[in-house]
Order: sequence, then C-alpha cells, then structure tokens
Amino acid sequence: MLEKKPVILVIDDEESMRDSCSQMLEKDGFLTDTAEDGSVGLEKIKEAKPDLVLIDLKMPGINGLVVLEKAKEIDSNIIVVVITGYATVESAVEAMKKGAYDFLPKPFTPDELRIIIRRGLERRKLILETESLRREKKLIEENFITMVSHQLRSPLVAILQYFEVILGGMAGEVQEKQKMMISRASARLEGLLNLINDWLDVARLNAGQIVDKLNPLSLKKVMKKLIEDMKPLIQDDNISLELGSCSGDDLVQGDKETLEQVFSNLITNAVRYNKPKGQILITIKEKKAFIAAEVKDTGIGIAKEHLPFIFDQFYRVKRGEDQKIKGTGLGLSIAKKIVEAHGGSIQVSSELGKGSIFTVLLPKAEKGNPHVLKFWDKKHLG
Amino acid sequence: MEKHRAKILVIDDDPDFVIAVTPILESALYDVVPASNPEEGKEKIFSEKPDLILLDIMMDSLFDGFSLCHAIKSSKDYKEFKDTPIIFVSAVKEMTGSRFQFNAQEQGMIGPDDYLDKPVKPGDLIARIEKLLKR
Repeated sequence: MLEKKPVILVIDDEESMRDSCSQMLEKDGFLTDTAEDGSVGLEKIKEAKPDLVLIDLKMPGINGLVVLEKAKEIDSNIIVVVITGYATVESAVEAMKKGAYDFLPKPFTPDELRIIIRRGLERRKLILETESLRREKKLIEENFITMVSHQLRSPLVAILQYFEVILGGMAGEVQEKQKMMISRASARLEGLLNLINDWLDVARLNAGQIVDKLNPLSLKKVMKKLIEDMKPLIQDDNISLELGSCSGDDLVQGDKETLEQVFSNLITNAVRYNKPKGQILITIKEKKAFIAAEVKDTGIGIAKEHLPFIFDQFYRVKRGEDQKIKGTGLGLSIAKKIVEAHGGSIQVSSELGKGSIFTVLLPKAEKGNPHVLKFWDKKHLG
Repeated sequence: MEKHRAKILVIDDDPDFVIAVTPILESALYDVVPASNPEEGKEKIFSEKPDLILLDIMMDSLFDGFSLCHAIKSSKDYKEFKDTPIIFVSAVKEMTGSRFQFNAQEQGMIGPDDYLDKPVKPGDLIARIEKLLKR
C-alpha cells in the first residue's frame, strides 16, 4: 500500500490554480485529481481516497472550512492543507483548529507548495503505518486463543488424519490387531483434543470473551436442536430423551453458542451416566424473572459427599468400576461459568442409584432491549 | 474411453495433511494437485484449473484462507474460476473458531461453499466433494 503513488486532490474554484498545482504535482510524480467546488471535492474524497487534499478556503458553495471538517469525517487520517486567499491569520488558525495539517497563503511559489506536500505526505505515511501496526496487534490479541488452539491442535489432527486413512484401508490392508490398536490410539488422541478444547474454553471464559452479546433466545428451540443432535448417541443404549412440559415463556436473554454448549454438556452427562433403557426428561418453566430449564435423568446419580464439588474445575467423581467413562473434569465448571456470565445460576440435586436433576436458571429476555453483559460484571452474578 | 477425472487442488501448509488426504481423494478417483502455501496455490489455480479446491484457513497468517477464498470468488483476476467450489478444512474446531469465522464474514468477505473440521472423515469428505461437483 505504501508503494503506491500518493494521490493528491486539489479543491479550488479557480481553474488556473487547479491546473498549475496539478501540473506541478504530476511532474513531481504524484497522482492528482481536481474539483471545482466543495461538494464535488467531497465526492472525490469518498471515491478516490486521496492521501492529501488542498482546499481553498474561499469558494462559492460549501465553505472551505466545512469541506475540511467533512473530509476529516470521511477519512480521519487525511492530510488537509488549506489555501488562504487573503492571508488572514484568523481563518488559518480556525482551519488548524479544525484539523488542517498546515496552511499556505496565496500567492505561493512551487517550492513552498512542494515542501508542505512532502512533509504532509510523510506524516500521512507515518500515521498509516502506526495504524496498520495497531490493527495487526489488535487482531493478534483478539484471535490469540484461536492461534493457540490452532498450534496445539494441528499436530494431533495430523496424526488422527493418518489414522483415519489407515483405518479406512487406504494405505494398504490392516490386520485386526493393528486396527484395534490404532482405533484405541485414535480414541486417546481425541480425548486429548477434547481436553485442549475445554482448556481453551476456560481461557476464553477467564478472558471474559465468552458472553459477548445477549439476545432473546428460545430455550425450546435450543433443546429441540440438541435432542436432534444427540439421537445417534442415545441409540446404542436405548435411552429415551424427551422434551417434556413447557409452561409459559421460554425466551431467555442469552448467547446461543455458549448456552448450547451448556445444555449439550448437561445432556451428554445425562446420557453418559445413565443406565441402559434409562430416561432423560427436559422441562422448561417460568419462575418469576427467570426461566428454569431442568435436565432430569434416571442414571447412576451422585453421592452426597461429591455434590458440593462437582462444579469445581478438574473435580471428577471417582467410581472404581466404570473407568470407561472419561471426562476432562472441566465440563460442569465451564457450564457454571457460562450460566453465571448470563446472570443465571445452576443447581443440582441427586440420589445415588436413582438419578440426577440439573436445573439452570436464566434471566428472561427483555423485550426489545438486547443488552450486553460482561462476565466480570459481578453485580449480575447474584 | 476415458472418463474425465475431476482435479482437486489441496492448498495446505501442513505436508502431513496433504500426504494423508491424497489417498482418500485418489481412492475416489480424483486427481490431486498439492500446493503448500497461498502463493503456490494461486499459481496452480491458473496452471492446473482445478475442479474443486480444498483450502486450509490458517497458514502464514490468520486470514490466508479467507483472503484467498474471497479473492477467488470476487476478484476480476480469478473471473474464470469464480464458480470453482471451495471447501475450507481447518484444525481450528468449528466451535472454537466460529466467532472468528463469523467476523470475517461480517467484514464483507465471501465465504467458502462448505467447511470441514480436521481430521476429516474419508466418507464425509468424498460425499461433500461429490455434492459440490454435481452442481
């Protein structure tokens, strides 16, 4: 972008002035354009995005000072040099106050014009460079988690991709035993990928990025979608998963992506810790200023002594026999953080051997008033 | 009588992904042309005229995949190829990357025809390619 020839626009009602300036500037290797009054000039600033503009202060039509202000609104980094016909100090000072870079009293020599233009363009270059550095830095900051995620996931994903190809028989025949081992290796790697995802979610939550925008959201719709997504998961064990009674309103003030994550986590747990032919029932009801969503399962339940800790990071209920169940110990703590970031709360009640009920309370949608709530906004965390 | 084999351009800076994905594509009787960075990818679009492009999102910079995709779909230089289907493949999981993806589209960039998380399932990849090639 900086290699490009600088573009200079001359706005002046005097034709001789426009011609002499542009001829001289073209000879010096600049691209030039001219406008005979303010409104044409402003159009050209929008279209051609000049680096520098010369504005005659005294013109018929729009006043030069107004043109200056409007030009700055279009491109706040544009360099404006005003030409003052009757060199009055007042008008020059006024222009400088309104953001002009410099002024040039008529009549001026080509060299005077050259010096001002050269300095002005250097300034422009500096501003643009700083701007682009700042933008790049911001981009890196904003996408830091994405970049870390990419770097952590890439090598694992490459290995898994090889396994997929080998297991698919596309790299030659595979014996049963090899197949079994590679499948198990894949499963372990996938576990590691899940752990990385959860970790990154924790990092995102701590950085306060997860709940950006809260909008009215239908919990019924969220549940229906999730139930559809879970179908393949429940088929093997013949578990029933249903959306039961929904009384009253179901609109919450929520962020779709993260709330889906919360309920997906609760339902996955309800499936994972259920018994064959077990049931999962989801209900939604109004509760004063909140909507309560309940996920009830007929699973193995959680012993009393574990209940106070299950929302803690890395807390996992130890159960000798069912070691095949592997989690990262982060899912519920992430769910809790997300719900609290919404100004809601999450509760559990459970009976060992009979099942668990997870209840999520979320604030009702404020009609026509989507507001932004930040995770660190403690007063909402009641 | 030889049937025309569709040609797939794989633009990805991870050589392991290219090696692994090649037999998947070949098993479905596609010709594979690899490119290990966006520049090489651009050259090969012109020299090889692929029927479909598999494009990695993050290569040298965060936006490589997005900017190349946008250029192919909208720039005069790629006029001849603007209807070539593009599938994004990325190791940045959909969920983790979705905000970032969404932003790029908010900024007025034209997105791909489809999107797949790495590692790709062979059957899924082939099915999606076939669907796009039929259009």
